[in-house]
Amino acid sequence: MKHFDLIVIGTGLAGLTAARTAAEAGARVLIAGRGMGALTLFGNTIDLLGEIPPETDIEEGILRWIGAHPEHPYARTGMEGIETALSEFQRLFPPPYSFAAEGRRNALFPTGAGTMRPSYLIPVTMAAGAAMTPGETLIVGFRGFKDFQGDTVSLHLKCRGMNIALPRYGLEGMTALALARLMDEASFRERLGETIRRQMGGERFIGLPAVLGLRNPAAVLKTLENTTGARVFEIPMLPPSIPGTRVFHRFREELIAKNVTVLMGHPVTGATVRDQRCEGIAVQNPPLTAEYRADQYILATGRFLGGGLSAGMDRIVEPLFQIPVFQPGQREAWFGKRFFDPEAHPIHHAGIATDADLRPVDGTGNVVLENVRAAGSILAHHQAIEEKSREGIDIATGFLAATRALAS
Amino acid sequence: MTKAKEKSSPFPKLPDVCVRCATCMAACPVSRVTPRFPGPKQAGPGAQRFRSASEVSVDDWIELCTGCHLCDTVCPAGVPISEMNMMAKAKYLDERGRTFRDWLLVRSDLFGELAARFSKIVNPLMKSRLLRRLLDALLKIDLRRDLPGYEYPTFRRWFGARPAAAGKTGRRKIAYFYGCFTNTNETDVGKAAVEVLEAHGLEVVVPSQRCCGIPRLGVGDLRGAREMGRRNIGLLLPTVREGIDIVFSSTSCGLMLRHEYSRILNLPGAEELAGSLFDICEFLLRLRETDGTSPALRPLALRAAYFAPCHLRSLNIGFPALELLRMIPGLDVRMLEADCCGLGGLYGFKKEKFPIAEEIGKDLAEAAARMKPDVILTDCEGCRMQVRHLTGLRTLHPLQILRDALKPS
Amino acid sequence: MDLRTEVLIIGGGATGAGIARDLALRGIPSLLVEKGDFTSGASGRNQGLLHSGARYAVNDPDAARECIAENRILRQIAPHCIEPTDGLFVSLPEDGSEYRANFIRACGNAGIDALPLSAREALSLEPRLNPRLIGAVRVPDGAIDPFMLVVENVRDAESRGARFLIHTEVTGLIREGPRIAGAHVRDRITGQSYAVAANWVVNATGAWANLILAMAGLQIGLALSKGSMLLTNTRLSERVLNRCRPPSSGDIIVPNDTVSILGTTSVREEDLERYEVTAEEVTFLVDELSKMVPDVKGERFNRAYAGVRPLLRSAETSDDRDISRGFSLIDHEQETGLAGLVTITGGKLMTYRLMAEKTVDFLCSRMGLHVPCITHRQPLPGAGLGNTLKDRLLHLRRQTPASRGEILCDCELVPREAVDAILREGKVRELQDILHRTRLAKGTCQGGFCVYRLLGLLNELHGEREKGGSNVILRGFLEERWKGIRPILWGTALKEEELIESIYKGLFNLAPGGPEQTERVNE
Repeated sequence: MKHFDLIVIGTGLAGLTAARTAAEAGARVLIAGRGMGALTLFGNTIDLLGEIPPETDIEEGILRWIGAHPEHPYARTGMEGIETALSEFQRLFPPPYSFAAEGRRNALFPTGAGTMRPSYLIPVTMAAGAAMTPGETLIVGFRGFKDFQGDTVSLHLKCRGMNIALPRYGLEGMTALALARLMDEASFRERLGETIRRQMGGERFIGLPAVLGLRNPAAVLKTLENTTGARVFEIPMLPPSIPGTRVFHRFREELIAKNVTVLMGHPVTGATVRDQRCEGIAVQNPPLTAEYRADQYILATGRFLGGGLSAGMDRIVEPLFQIPVFQPGQREAWFGKRFFDPEAHPIHHAGIATDADLRPVDGTGNVVLENVRAAGSILAHHQAIEEKSREGIDIATGFLAATRALAS
Repeated sequence: MTKAKEKSSPFPKLPDVCVRCATCMAACPVSRVTPRFPGPKQAGPGAQRFRSASEVSVDDWIELCTGCHLCDTVCPAGVPISEMNMMAKAKYLDERGRTFRDWLLVRSDLFGELAARFSKIVNPLMKSRLLRRLLDALLKIDLRRDLPGYEYPTFRRWFGARPAAAGKTGRRKIAYFYGCFTNTNETDVGKAAVEVLEAHGLEVVVPSQRCCGIPRLGVGDLRGAREMGRRNIGLLLPTVREGIDIVFSSTSCGLMLRHEYSRILNLPGAEELAGSLFDICEFLLRLRETDGTSPALRPLALRAAYFAPCHLRSLNIGFPALELLRMIPGLDVRMLEADCCGLGGLYGFKKEKFPIAEEIGKDLAEAAARMKPDVILTDCEGCRMQVRHLTGLRTLHPLQILRDALKPS
Repeated sequence: MDLRTEVLIIGGGATGAGIARDLALRGIPSLLVEKGDFTSGASGRNQGLLHSGARYAVNDPDAARECIAENRILRQIAPHCIEPTDGLFVSLPEDGSEYRANFIRACGNAGIDALPLSAREALSLEPRLNPRLIGAVRVPDGAIDPFMLVVENVRDAESRGARFLIHTEVTGLIREGPRIAGAHVRDRITGQSYAVAANWVVNATGAWANLILAMAGLQIGLALSKGSMLLTNTRLSERVLNRCRPPSSGDIIVPNDTVSILGTTSVREEDLERYEVTAEEVTFLVDELSKMVPDVKGERFNRAYAGVRPLLRSAETSDDRDISRGFSLIDHEQETGLAGLVTITGGKLMTYRLMAEKTVDFLCSRMGLHVPCITHRQPLPGAGLGNTLKDRLLHLRRQTPASRGEILCDCELVPREAVDAILREGKVRELQDILHRTRLAKGTCQGGFCVYRLLGLLNELHGEREKGGSNVILRGFLEERWKGIRPILWGTALKEEELIESIYKGLFNLAPGGPEQTERVNE
């Protein structure tokens, strides 16, 4: 049976980052998982730590954060680890479709609910959103495209809004992916740009739903900016996320090009552990189960949505290795009484606790598995939703886990 | 309309785990080109909540699902979306009845043998504009689709006619499942398979076998598929029990034999068969990497694009063909960045589905146009037909290139 | 803007709506005020069970006879509000065959069709039943849609001159000497207050009866009993399933369209405004009902909810279930000398028509009118609308871009047209009003996607009126939804919630409070 240097379990951003990092270092890597993680759902930009106000320098903010949260995943990676990992991510997206930060700070960007949210690394197709001013911005929705409510956005952002119907294409019931694909067609986007231009009222910024092409978003941006003469930006909306899907495809393309064995679509259902070492994993594709072995493993299976953590009626478990899960007591304690609680629901802090090397530890701090590392949202002591730290943690811990795995 | 009486319930208890995340919507090739198909989220687990075994099916759009399984591969919750669609399609068509065209097309293995024998007449006939227009009008087989030519002798005949010594007996035996298309329409793929296996020091045997039955699944004919599966398992198990592994060169046949026989059709013996069944590239890769059998590969100066068929993705074995091709010195082989060719087996031949297949295939055509390869390589015969149709480029099975690389110079 | 009517009905549940209709059919004008939307009380928070009466046959034969009579009437007059599923009374070994025999006999005595079935027969009808069952009895139980029932009553009454004001609460009763002469009311949305003068005031407020009576210095002995229910994501059975044992908690599974409703409990409640489904109740219902249908154990739930039933206290008992669920019409003049006010209370959803009949008979006799009741034979309007699951799936058929009805709610296949129609009627004033009138947000994700999609329509509805725009509505919706979601958060439901939270709090950055989130750096 083929032996790998590293097996990454989980095909979300953390797993993809880990696999790429290891492949770049020349290791033989296998990545197995199911789904595209949070990328296709809410992954639009790279959040680092939205909690840091836009006035504060990001490094200063993170260092302070780490000081105040010594168990947070960023405390394991350190600022330097974050910097390196992020720049590696950026390297995967060379111009014209690149990711950049507004200086070394968070910036605020419009969302599909017409609110603003902070984020750090932004794809070029969203960058202008940080600069938009209400009086000079036009929000363009598509009639019949229900996953982006342009009127809601323009109402809340106090901008002018309009909805376009493109009769030839009949957008009623159109999906985000179909629309993104149409955008990839030069003639479609030229016509769209023209239509917008004719109805503009001198605006300098134009906001559209985040469907500006799947394959060639930079070209879509260029066409629209050229035809309208305005700065164009896309706005995140209900899942699926097209910008996230772009990131996924880029990673997958890169992994395949670097000879990583990519197994997508079937769950890793078993792991063989002996003397605190993982000796192999099993991937189930009924009626067969295939086994794979490596020296090192990375568990990046996500939280509940991804199946990395599983909540029974009373306890939260980690189903693959049965690693003890740090959790806030029984079910009644998991969630607050109100949906919008100023404190995050206690369950969000649950997850796998680790040592400095990202190896999982139990309640007393003892390492549970020597050659397995945890990365991404499965980690305890963070809550990505309120902190706005999801992608940053995925990338930084994925990078760290792979680096440490290969070093051992 | 009488209600179909199924021996097994048409809606077995499938796990109710869909969280409506819509990830599948980001992968479905059909819903991204036509709003007529609501997409896997609604067509599968969405509609499933409304289906009842005792009510007549109203899933008019269910036939638009190509059965590519891409939705399954990206669902984070593990919803068996294709299986749900398959069951719904089976019930729908059982109740409405299937067209004569579909009856005909799924029996192409029977007509195939006949057509091959008389290929000298059949081939020109299949190109005749008049006949094509008739087929289009009467049977709704789209006239823009090139029909594959037949070859004679069939692969099976060719293999049978080989002198015994050519097999070099005394070596480890390996059985080959060739599949209908290889047998009657693309015999060179089979020949390449045999030659490549022999070059790796194996003795090839070709057990009795029938069509795997996947065309039946395409029209939701579970009963027909089960029948064919039962027969095949009966024919192939003796080989397995002799300790001989079986390899397949068609990824669709492979998916059917190795997984659908047990997963969807619940056939006895399917699991035993699956344990000894391998994709030929997967098998060769293992031979080379772990068993140490590594006949030399000579350089081939070619620019090749590799396209991964949907059913290969469902086999979940990675891309062994690509890995093998990378071993050939001088071969510039890259993955073609497109997910589905759009043909969907017999799907794209049907007049009402032809435009959908074309539209899905556009992405592949554009990717090929960007890459400008000398040759496109893919393990699925359906994909090869579609790629030729879309790009006009030379399109081969990876085995055919591999054979060239194994020939002594 | 003071109003005047003959009969002022307080309470827009089934009873109130039924009274308005009965009055209208007898030519008597009425005005109904309801502080929320129709069915805000127990009428909107029950299991949706159209009793055959079998459940009461052994213990309360009178109630049983009453039930079967109303069952038959409702099937005649409101077939479109009912799914005639039939029901099975299931005997597990611990329930005993003796009770089963009594049960069958008692049904016979009460005139309820009861067909005994062997275990094998029962399992072939309902394969998910516990295979250990010893037998079942088939009875004419059914599933009823309470909201539709009430709204149909309202519609019919309105067409005959009755008036209805929702989101209108009573703030005080108007007293003229020894008589109640109307009420002060307040529109909860506009804040406007005015008076309604009436010759008769009917207190049909169910569990809130004493709140209204207190405005006249009166009280009745009412016990409040909370019953909690769980909604599954898929439909567990074709028929209503009942345990064949003395009526107890955790006995019943009622199919409802695409889901099943598991119930119920009976917990004494004190606070009408702040009651919730507790973790103990959830655990209890899952444990208890999985005895009858083992799949309940691993089943996925969409929502939990509770309703408070008013039980008229006739004697002090410890188990609220012993208090009669029969109803009472209280003529306050008789007890206290205060005329012009009656309270109708107790009862159950499906005896609403009878309760209304008795109330209106009483009113007519006091008014000196001799008009007979015809609600038992006059069908409700709207019969014939197809609303089977299959019909909703048919909407997906219209796939051509031009004619396709845009589907707003993927889970329940609710097209935009359905919502447009409701908005056009012009009677809805709040998001919840729309949600009550469609199946939007009643499916798997409980509004996670569709309510966002609805916002566009809502912006048209509310325009600039809501300070803060439609996100105020969205936040309100999410908070309200949370009450039903929190009790069932484990397993797949918890995954669902992670998705919803990530979208609304993460991606859309909706936070409590709001305004500071819309400030921009470049302002």
